[in-house]
Amino acid sequence: MADPIKLTIDGQEIEAQPGQTIIQAAMDSGTYIPYLCYMPKMKPYGACRMCVVETESNGRTMTQASCTTPVAPDMVVRTKTGDIQELRRGIIDLLMTEHPHGCLTCHRIELCGPQDVCLRHVRVTDRCTICPKNERCELKDTVRSMELDLTNPMEYHFRDLPRHVDDPFYDRDYNLCIVCARCVRVCEEVRFDTALTLVSRSGTALVGTSHGTSLLESGCEFCGACVDVCPTGALVERDYKWDKADTQVTTICSNCPVGCQVITEVNKRNKAIRFRGDLAGEANNGQLCFKGKFASDYPNKKGRFRYPLVKIDSELKRTTWALALESAAENLKKFSPDQIAIIASPRGTNEDNYVAGKLARVALGTNNIDSALNLNPELTEGLLPSTGYGAATNSIWELENSRCVMVIGGNPTEEQNVLAVPVKKAARDGADIVVIDARETELTRYCKDGLWLRPKPGTEVTLVGGILRAVMDEALEDKEFVNTRVDGLQDIKQELWSFDLVRVAQITGIEEDQIRAAARAYGSAESAAILYGADTILAEEKTDLALAVANLALVTGNIGRAGGGIYPLFGGANTQGSNDVGANPRFLPGYVSVQDESARAQLSKEWGARIPDQAGLSITEMVAAMADGTIKAAIVMADGIAPDQPGLEGLQAALDRLDFLLVSDDFPGELSHFADVILPSAAFTEIDGTFTNLERRVQLLRRGMTLNYEERPGWAALAALGRAMGASGFEFDTAADVFAEIASIVPSYAGISHDRLESGGIQWPCADSEASGTAILHGEPDEAFRPRMTPMSIRELLDVRDSEYPFTLAHGRVLHVPDHPVDVENRDGMNYISRDSYVHLHPNDASSAGISDGEMVELRSKPDQDGNTVTFIGYAKLESPHPGLISVTTLFGEVASAMQDSDDPDPAPRVRGLPLMAVSLTKVSVPAGVA
Amino acid sequence: MTVAFAELRERADRRWRELNDSAWVRVGGGVSGEAAGCDEVIDAFNSELASVDVSSTVSRVGMYGLCYAEPLVDIKTPGGPRVWYANVTPEQVPGLVEKHVKGGQPVGAQAFAYESAGEGQVLQGVAKFQDLPDVAAQTRIATRNFGHIDPQDLLQYIANGGYAGLEKALDGMAPDQVLDEVKGSGLRGRGGAAFPTGLKWSFLSGNPAPVKYVLCNCEEGDPGAFNDKAILESDPHTLLEGLILAGYATGATKGFIFIRQGHDEPINAARKAVADAYEAGLLGENILGSEFSYDAEVVLTGDSYVAGEETALMEAIEGKRSQPRYRPPFPAQAGLWQKPSNINNVKSLSYVPQIIARGGEWFKTVGTEKSSGTALVCLTGDIVRPGLFEIPMGLTIRQVLEDIGGGAPGAKKIKVLQTGGPLGGVLGEEAFDTEIDFDAMSAAGAILGSGGIIVGDEDVNVVDLTRALVAFNQFESCGKCFPCRLGTTHMLETLDRVCMNKAYEEDFALMDRIGSSMKVGSLCGHGQLGYNPILSAVKFFKDEFDACIAEHAGPVGAFPDGSMITPSRTRP
Repeated sequence: MADPIKLTIDGQEIEAQPGQTIIQAAMDSGTYIPYLCYMPKMKPYGACRMCVVETESNGRTMTQASCTTPVAPDMVVRTKTGDIQELRRGIIDLLMTEHPHGCLTCHRIELCGPQDVCLRHVRVTDRCTICPKNERCELKDTVRSMELDLTNPMEYHFRDLPRHVDDPFYDRDYNLCIVCARCVRVCEEVRFDTALTLVSRSGTALVGTSHGTSLLESGCEFCGACVDVCPTGALVERDYKWDKADTQVTTICSNCPVGCQVITEVNKRNKAIRFRGDLAGEANNGQLCFKGKFASDYPNKKGRFRYPLVKIDSELKRTTWALALESAAENLKKFSPDQIAIIASPRGTNEDNYVAGKLARVALGTNNIDSALNLNPELTEGLLPSTGYGAATNSIWELENSRCVMVIGGNPTEEQNVLAVPVKKAARDGADIVVIDARETELTRYCKDGLWLRPKPGTEVTLVGGILRAVMDEALEDKEFVNTRVDGLQDIKQELWSFDLVRVAQITGIEEDQIRAAARAYGSAESAAILYGADTILAEEKTDLALAVANLALVTGNIGRAGGGIYPLFGGANTQGSNDVGANPRFLPGYVSVQDESARAQLSKEWGARIPDQAGLSITEMVAAMADGTIKAAIVMADGIAPDQPGLEGLQAALDRLDFLLVSDDFPGELSHFADVILPSAAFTEIDGTFTNLERRVQLLRRGMTLNYEERPGWAALAALGRAMGASGFEFDTAADVFAEIASIVPSYAGISHDRLESGGIQWPCADSEASGTAILHGEPDEAFRPRMTPMSIRELLDVRDSEYPFTLAHGRVLHVPDHPVDVENRDGMNYISRDSYVHLHPNDASSAGISDGEMVELRSKPDQDGNTVTFIGYAKLESPHPGLISVTTLFGEVASAMQDSDDPDPAPRVRGLPLMAVSLTKVSVPAGVA
Repeated sequence: MTVAFAELRERADRRWRELNDSAWVRVGGGVSGEAAGCDEVIDAFNSELASVDVSSTVSRVGMYGLCYAEPLVDIKTPGGPRVWYANVTPEQVPGLVEKHVKGGQPVGAQAFAYESAGEGQVLQGVAKFQDLPDVAAQTRIATRNFGHIDPQDLLQYIANGGYAGLEKALDGMAPDQVLDEVKGSGLRGRGGAAFPTGLKWSFLSGNPAPVKYVLCNCEEGDPGAFNDKAILESDPHTLLEGLILAGYATGATKGFIFIRQGHDEPINAARKAVADAYEAGLLGENILGSEFSYDAEVVLTGDSYVAGEETALMEAIEGKRSQPRYRPPFPAQAGLWQKPSNINNVKSLSYVPQIIARGGEWFKTVGTEKSSGTALVCLTGDIVRPGLFEIPMGLTIRQVLEDIGGGAPGAKKIKVLQTGGPLGGVLGEEAFDTEIDFDAMSAAGAILGSGGIIVGDEDVNVVDLTRALVAFNQFESCGKCFPCRLGTTHMLETLDRVCMNKAYEEDFALMDRIGSSMKVGSLCGHGQLGYNPILSAVKFFKDEFDACIAEHAGPVGAFPDGSMITPSRTRP
């Protein structure tokens, strides 16, 4: 770091970092400078002029905006001279002529309640006490700090504009807007959506939507970043709109593996009323997504399980914990270990997962334990032979500095939303985005010409192999890295002979030139990252995908390099942590294989029990085993499991077949329907614990709401069950105790403790309490493991076509399609997207089905195990890259509306991903007279 | 002389000879000519000459600047004098063709002025063009080709010494020498701030970045100013040559000519000039066979006055809402697309070809010591001879008004001037003896700025005029800085009250307070100078404002019933 700059602010000598602006230096040193348009972590804007200060530098005295002026050596800054204060008051006076301010200038404001009779006869609409942001208004704080006179010499004009209350999740009241443009800027420069924009100019300049009048038309992703930065009541969350926070707690969102740090506001009635992205959050930099921002309030909802229940005569009856556990223990003892399985919650903390794994092995004697959303374990475990770690190699926010980001078979904008933010940033800064996906996703719109590769579904891995071959052909490999740091080059060179590009092009349907272009974009970038998921990948190919991705990154030297790396895209808030701590059928805590005899023996000694040596069943296998009766009893930690998710089809029916089912859940639902014992679980806002996110960052959840009934955190419930079953080693008092045991067993967690996490997350491996964690794996040569490239083989397209449903539907979703008009329809006071859909067909398929361009067609998906089908109706467009592939692109706004309208108390896990589907295609005959 | 240029020059000379070897009818074009009906006159000439067996050319040349005389036609037959006819109507054309073009006999009775082709050639009863008071007072550098050449014809420009400066620079002058020549000329920016152009260029030339831009600002949205547009309409190549020279001197890679949308004639002229220059090898790779490569492009703004502010202009070119940026970083560090950039006014660049061709020392001989060169003055309003006049710096305002402009019509008294655009404020009679030069003008509290002078005679109501200026400023505020967005709005509303005789003494103190907020608290000149109209109007015409205070009766022309025209977008 460069030498600090010394300067003086209001007589106080301080040190600032070069490049800092005056306001940043002042804030760091505890000097308050009023501001309205400035916002930390955003570019300065310099519009409100509230932050002006007097500066003296190089003999020149000037009045400058402190948000835009960089610090200079020996600068003297005066923040509160008479002239400056007068200028600020002048600006506030001007602002007050447009903003309701009856209370803002009143000396009684602290004494006044919403229902009070106002002694000053201030109109109700001019009072702060009726503003939804009253208690947390930045404008109010700023104005109050200026100590204005009661009256304003200028004329007051209330704008009297209609309020926008008909879009999902948040309201816009531009009568309260001060046009600081923070929302517009955050939308453009942080989120890259530009759904909001400034409209008109001069006295009528105001914020509006970029297209149409509804957020649904303008491509909003409902991340709520604009709401979080709004200094007034102009943008407000609709739920709990006027509610006041009693306490604020920093915790971690439980919806996806990004692990966003959120500030949870809890009111005095113990409800979590608002969630704001924490600017200090290392994983999210203050950002959230629509789920985290607007659907995290599920712990408040009515109908929670509050007490343990036991099924007696096919009716669930309230009971005590002791009786419930006794009943469960008795029942479980009836089954042999291989008849029992534990499904851990995707929202389970490391503590929950660890105790679950220990319970399975110690009390139940089985390895049948898996996390519910660990549906593609190959993505992470497949990396073990290559990098030695079953996790992403680099950190989330490094991506913003990547010069190339390749995304394979994943849709991070929806599934790991905040992870896509730095990817978009990199794209804005000129990085190449390469997407390998048949679906049109938000990130495909960031691809330069030709870098969106749409292979025939099922050939993605072969395509990655082809790219690797092209990288080698064009000598784009990092020779020094490969020679000194990596094993296995000769092996893969041999194998790559089979990846002849002509053949790869034939198999994948991607032209040679395009493969080479992608290879050049990736291989010649200074730093290039790969994000890969399994959304469109065949089950047989997932392990190969991980190998291929690792090979590509290793050969180009992108392992151990900042801005490079590989990032598996999986679901579940703590899937990474559950694997780390051993809630996994194949691995004990710390990725020790259950078949590793010496390690097993070691752990057996510590746990005081014999650990079974056969790998258990994965989540997918468990569902099958329950369905065929091999598994007869199960413990399901059901918080956050939506049984209609792709990959979990059949779970519900399978649970029905069990002889004994224990469910721990927040709400009654499809899973608890069949339960014999129900344990009420505490939700993420009600517990202490840790999650490990997809960049290996262990982060602390802090309890914000009190538990007033008998709900218990997962670890406590499972530990109590362990004790009830007579097992030892389950005597934990707090989550921190559990974590301490994890740290003693899992080497990469050894240096982490709840105490240390209080001051921020730590990325494992963290060997001891002095170590600061590891942002980049293999950044330094790793003595424990030398990366290795592993051969993979070329495969012809596996033809898995179903004769009745012969087409593959690639359903894509984006925020906005500029050349495809959207209408908004208002139903019952809410806006909904209404537009014609297009079904993109290959001309060959169309002609054999007798369909011509523009005709209406219907797609019907093959029923899944639960018998659900999906249908699409739209106008045929004869443009699809491959015969057999049909694509449809819908708008994200529809997802937002659906979540807004959902009756489910916990709608976020139910937002469906976009799996490829086998569909049938039929022409819809339109009745005469209907256009 | 390089081979490439010699060849161009030869073609140009041939073209010029051809034009002069036959009868040549030049009709003043530009927006002022067009408004006066020059196109009808041209059509009349064309149709008339089609049936006459005389070798002749009809050209739509640029405006000479004598707007009051438009459509201004000049006819020259080989060997004969060049004779100007003012305010020509299509009905006059057959007679002119019959007598002058065909017969070679100037129509003395209709002639406006003449220029003899040689010694002793005299047209009785007709004034010599050079002796016209408004022509005699001029020193034409940037406008030297106005009215003489067809602006669409690159060869005519070259035949009159065009691109000789560029040729001279590329064939023997190092970029630094060009820069020194401009520095030595004392040229100061004509955009309003009067910053020394050479110094400004040296900021850019000192930046080693591989990609640098020169931007030419022809936003020109000031009411009453049309000299930038006139240069583009009447002689676009003089600007383009200046732009290329600027690129050469500063090591820039591309030049942008930024024109406000809707100014069709300047836009088309600039586009044609750029295309022709590419074709002639004056733009693109290895210009005139030298090592120097340079591109140029015409870009358009939206309909926004503030887009003429240098950083807002960059935002506009980048396709964003044209709002000013904060500084630092300054454009020379990070300008257009974050690349080092230099912005120059059209007029500033248009002097450069002559400065290089004739030397900086020559330029210094024109004008005053601190303000070398000329001023392009646009006279409009209550004046006998409105037009565009290029005068040496140092004339007094009164000389311009009386000698050039001929005073107010109807022998009325000139009462008020509005100079330098709506942010420049107004001047009263006390200031008329100020010399036109940057420093003297600013000392008098006026800005030379764009060079527009709108003249108001004794019938003008200054309060109303001030309100109109403030209304313009309010309407054109981009809405970014709080003090400007809200301040201009409140000032306008207060002035509305003043006009309706509903104001109080305190309102003036209030406007003063708002004005000082705007001055300190705005990113660009729009807000910083936004209080100028009121400040200057009150300075010169305090009694008129006093008369508007509630208790007093208003002066003639105020609108007690509130019926004045207010821009519609004051508030939501």
